Parts: sequence; C-alpha cells; structure tokens
Amino acid sequence: MKKNSMWSLKLNTASLVLIPAAVGINYIGKLFAGALKLPLWLDSIGTILAACLAGPIVGALCGAINNIIYGFTLDPVSFIYALSQVGIGIVAGVLAYKGKMKGLVGSIITGLIIACVATVVSTPINIAMYGGQTGNIWGDALFTWCTANQFPTWLASGLDELVVDIPDKVAVTLIAFGIYKALPKKLTILYKNDQAIESLD
Amino acid sequence: MAKIVVEHLKYRYPLTDELALKDISFTIEPGEFIGIIGENNAGKSTLCQALVGIIPNFYKGAYGGKVFIDDLEVAKHSISEVCRKVGIVFQNPFNQVTGSKLTVYEEIAFGLENMGLSRTEMMERIDYSLKLLDIYQYKDRNPFDLSGGQMQRMAIASIIAMRPEVIILDEPTSQLDPQGSEEVFRAVQSLSQEGISILMVEHKMEKIAAYSDRVMLLKDGKMVAFDTPQKVFSLENLEQYGVNAPAFTRICKKLGIKNQKNGCYPVTLEEAEGAINLLKNGGIADE
Amino acid sequence: MKSISLYQDKNTVIHRIDPLSKILYILVAIIVPFLLASQIASAAFILVSIIILLMGKSLKRTVPMLGFSGLILITVVIIQGIFRPDNVTPALVLGSVVFYKEGLLFALGISLNVINILMSFSILVLTTKPSDMVETFVRMGLSPKLGYVLSSVFQIIPQMTETMATITDAQRSRGMETEGNLTTRVKAFFPLISPVVMNSLITTKERAIALEVRGFDSKQKKTFLTEVKKTRSEKVIKIVLAAVLILSLIGRVLIWLR
Repeated sequence: MKKNSMWSLKLNTASLVLIPAAVGINYIGKLFAGALKLPLWLDSIGTILAACLAGPIVGALCGAINNIIYGFTLDPVSFIYALSQVGIGIVAGVLAYKGKMKGLVGSIITGLIIACVATVVSTPINIAMYGGQTGNIWGDALFTWCTANQFPTWLASGLDELVVDIPDKVAVTLIAFGIYKALPKKLTILYKNDQAIESLD
Repeated sequence: MAKIVVEHLKYRYPLTDELALKDISFTIEPGEFIGIIGENNAGKSTLCQALVGIIPNFYKGAYGGKVFIDDLEVAKHSISEVCRKVGIVFQNPFNQVTGSKLTVYEEIAFGLENMGLSRTEMMERIDYSLKLLDIYQYKDRNPFDLSGGQMQRMAIASIIAMRPEVIILDEPTSQLDPQGSEEVFRAVQSLSQEGISILMVEHKMEKIAAYSDRVMLLKDGKMVAFDTPQKVFSLENLEQYGVNAPAFTRICKKLGIKNQKNGCYPVTLEEAEGAINLLKNGGIADE
Repeated sequence: MKSISLYQDKNTVIHRIDPLSKILYILVAIIVPFLLASQIASAAFILVSIIILLMGKSLKRTVPMLGFSGLILITVVIIQGIFRPDNVTPALVLGSVVFYKEGLLFALGISLNVINILMSFSILVLTTKPSDMVETFVRMGLSPKLGYVLSSVFQIIPQMTETMATITDAQRSRGMETEGNLTTRVKAFFPLISPVVMNSLITTKERAIALEVRGFDSKQKKTFLTEVKKTRSEKVIKIVLAAVLILSLIGRVLIWLR
C-alpha cells in the first residue's frame, strides 16, 4: 500500500457515486432527528461513513457538497457552514484510515475527536454570523448563562457548540460504524483506491 | 462491424478463492446474434462484463487470457475507450439511470457528451435511437417517471446512441413485468435487424431459440457448448446444466420428432410445425 | 417527481440572467459591506436584493428561509440585548427586563449581515435551475465528475425521501411507535433508516458501472447538449458588479490611508 494513497485526488467512479448516496443519508438522518424530535442533529452520518469507506478526500467533498445542497434547499447560510462539514469529513477519513475506528470504544473516541474539530471550525463562524449562538436550545441556554457570567464570547460560543456536538457526533459515528460493519466486504473494497489486478497468465 | 476473439479467459473476483471464469475461448463473427444460457452463477454476467472491460478494470481481482474486440485488447484499455465499441445493458433499469439528468432526452445525451460529440451530431443520434426504441414520445419526461419497460428501453437507447459495434444485453427483462419484457424483446428484434452484433443472456429459452444464430452454454465458469440453438437444445443432458429447453423442443423430444434436415429437435414453433407436417406427409417436404 | 430545490420555473428577466452574474452579485454583496465596515452598505444591498427578487417574482419564497435564520436572530437580539458584557446604556425596559443599547446595536449588525447574505443567495437559489448552475460551473472548468455528483444529489434526495415516506407509512400501519419517550423513538429510528441506507449504498456499485460504460471516465473533452447564449447585457451586468467591487476596494484603501 502506498503511503500517501489516502490523499490521492484521483477518485474512482465508485467513490464518486458514493458521495450523492452519502449526502442523501445525511439528509435522511436530519429528517428523522426532526421527525422523531430527537435532541440531536444526526446530519453527518453519510459524511462520516463516506470518509471511512473512501478516505478523507471523499469525506471532505461529501461535507462540502452536503452543505452546498442545503444552501440551495433549506437555508443559504449553510453554504458557510460547509467548512465544518469538510473538517468532519477529513478527520473521520484520517482516523478511519489509521485504523482508529475499530470497535465501540474506538468509534466513541473518534466521535469525540470529530466533535472537537467540528467545534473548533464552527465556533468562529458562529461568532461571525450570529454573535456566537448555534440555534440549538440547550447550547444557547448555556451560552446565555456564560455570557451573563462574563465569560469571553469565544469560550461561551465554543461551549455552546461543544455541548451539542459531543452527543451528536458520538451518536453519528456509532451509527456510521454500525452501517460500515453491516456492508458486504465485496462492496466496500470497490471504494478503495489501492487495489491492483493480479495476473493469472 | 467488429469481431470478438476470446482466448483462454480466466478470472477470479477479489476476496474469493474459486475462479468465476475458467479458461474460456471462442470467436464471434460480426453481425451474429449470440444467446448465452446457463444456471445461476455459471459465469454469464461475469463473461459479459469481461467483454466490456468492467472485468478486470472495475472489479480488479485476478485476470488471465485475452479479449479482443477487433484489434483492441479490452483489459489494456479503459472502460471509457472500450465502451465506444461495445455497449452493455444490465438487469435493473433503475440503477442504469445516471440520476443527473432531468429528461429522457438529456439522459441519452450523457454518454455522447462524454464522447465529446458536437451538438448537432448528438441530437441526430438521440432522435434516431429514441425512435428506434419507440420512446420518442417520452423524450421530455423525467427518466424516473418512466415504467420499467420504458426505462429499460431508454437504457438501450442510451447505449445505441453511442453507436457501438457490439451490444451485450445481460438479462434485460428479468426485472420487468410481462408487458415490459415484451416491449424490450420487440426492441431487441429491431436492433438485430440493424446488423449490429448482439450477445444476450436470457432465461426465456423461447426467445433465445427464436433470435440466436448460435447459443453458448456455460456451467461453473466453463463453456460447455457453443453451437446452433438446435444442437445445443438437443443435448441429451441439458437438464444437468440447469437449463430447460424451449417448450416446443421438450414436446418434440417426448414425441421423438426431429427436424430431418439437421437431425436435431425443433426449437421454435415454426420449426416444430414444419417437422410435424413433414411427418404427416410421410417424410415428403411441403414446398 | 417532486424537486427539493427551492427554484421555481418562471419566465422573468432575472431567471434568464447567467448564473455566473448572480454568483458575482453574492460576492459583491458580502464583500463590499465588509470592506467598508458599513451597516448602511448592508442595508443598501438588502434593498437591492429585494428589488431584484421582486423583479424575479420570488420575494415571497424567501419567507421560509428567513424563518429558519430568523428564529436564531430573535434569540440573538434577546440574549445580546440583555446579557452582552459591555452593555451599559439602558435603551428599553420591559418590566424587570432591561435591554441595553450596545447589545441591541450589536444584534442589529448581526441581523443586517445575516439577512444580506440570505437575500443575495436567495436570488441565485430561487431563480436558477440547479442543472443550469452545475453546467455553468463545469463550463468554467469544474471537473465534470464533480458536476455529475452535484446534479445527482438534487435527484437522489427526493428519491430517498420518497422511499422513506413509503417505509414510514408501512411501519406505522404495522403499529410501530414513532411517538412516546426517547428510547421508544430511538428504537423506532433504526428499522426505519437501515433499509433505505443499505439499499442506497448497495446500488452505488451498479450505478458506478452504468456510468463507466457510458464513458464517464473518458479523457476526451466533454461537450454539451445545451447551448449558451451570450448577450451584451450580461457583459454589462458583470462589468458593473466588478466596478462596484473595485470602487469599494479603493474606498477601503482611502479610509485606511486617512
């Protein structure tokens, strides 16, 4: 296996076709979190799954395209949040490639790391766009408390994001891991870029 | 028109131990209609995909031998090069829709845009193939709003528009209702009148018998027979290969009626009728 | 088939404008107020966007989008107005709650900014057919493969939601609980989501093959079925937008030199 094959920009057709499916999965997760009134977003299952299956580049593309599409269909502000989805895709891809996403514990730790990265990327955007709020009731309640107690904005905003991201990203990573396990190996191998043809002559 | 030459083709899928194709060799002349038959997992689809280069270039795995379309060696070229000479249509019409185009007309243009054709050339070819497949009236519909039979004909039209010299149909009707199947078979017939080489995998043996110049019988990745439909369907141990001969052949077999010209059992209604009439007239031909 | 895009097919001047000009407008509308650090500029661009949307007969369609961000903006006004650390000047007293001038002004800035971004994007989103936009990008040099991915997302999402709806109905009629406490709801989640998800992933193989046999991976330069019409007015629009951008850059430099 070549050392830098994880970052190869030459994507095979299977990985490219994976992207729309993954974005669809994100969308369905989001729809269901809403329909079942879950206190989570669940809108990055597909991004994380695609990153595990086809690496960080596909993960990043998935995240970016996901939010571009949301921008066109739900809320134009999503365009700007594409950055955090890209971050999520890259981190998930790298961690999966390094073999950190094995088993339940590995997935939970991966979820925690993803949550931290998402927070680091999203917080500046939250501050620039909304003065630091996220729009999630629980997070914004914490934000209000922090602001009232003279916390600096970056900390209040960071906590606001983190408190929602931790349960969300851990849940999402676990779901993605579950799906990954259930997929036939014959399928998942098609997304890998490092396969070679063996000669029988 | 292209000639297909296959020499000692062997193939094994990734993550498996057994060969899916075991040393297959044959030649197909330009313009022939070839029926491919055999039980499930005999290697029919694998062979089809090897003729287009999906095997080995998409699946990878282990590959041996050579496949030539005229002088183009399939394994050594990308699928996008091979697909200009050989087109393939699969079972599931739904999964063959690109999913990126909003109308049937644009859907057919997908392959042509990738080939880099001029706009006028594209429109000419799209109109031609829509009319050939009798779906011109649906050209402005969304591809996903078509019925199964219409969608499958659109898939064939998309391939025909690319003007391949060989077209492979891998069980094109297995996921369609009877009406959809009939639509597709009528389309296949009009294709064969165009003089293009056709290879068709199909479980409806009556159709294979009616259309094929020659029939290839596969079993466990090996080629068991490759001959006229009469000879293949007259094989004594046909059931062992998981194949049922056409109804007419089975009836004639039971009754011991053979076509006296070639010594085989009849495979189509017309042939059976001819053979029976011949018997009635005491062995003297009608004509 | 139902579309997920917010675009509506209407025959107006705005709908006919090149998507590229609309993208350029978004950039100008966001960058200029930022360069000039001016809330008046934001307000002016909001006004221009509203006029353009009126011309495109699409202003009403912005309401659901505004609702989405509007909720957050209302909480921003409340939280910043009451709790912002540098609040000193009381502006409004409602019973025991005091809104301060500093916080309210800060929230006003945020709101103008968000609404400006929303409105300028709305022009593009509401009056441009997604497939036209993707094609514009591909003509400009975006990889046709990414172009494919973008346009296929617009098709795949409605398909998946349709399948979901069918499955939800089926499960409900079998008496599955989608109401009740959290665990019940979470348990309901998995049987609903897994068949759709699995199926969408498994079909990627066949779809990838179907694309390959239609020359998806071709090295040949791609051509297009549709024609582009270039008009003089398009050029004028682009030049005007570029001029506004350059002028504001000069303005910025002048402010900075002062």
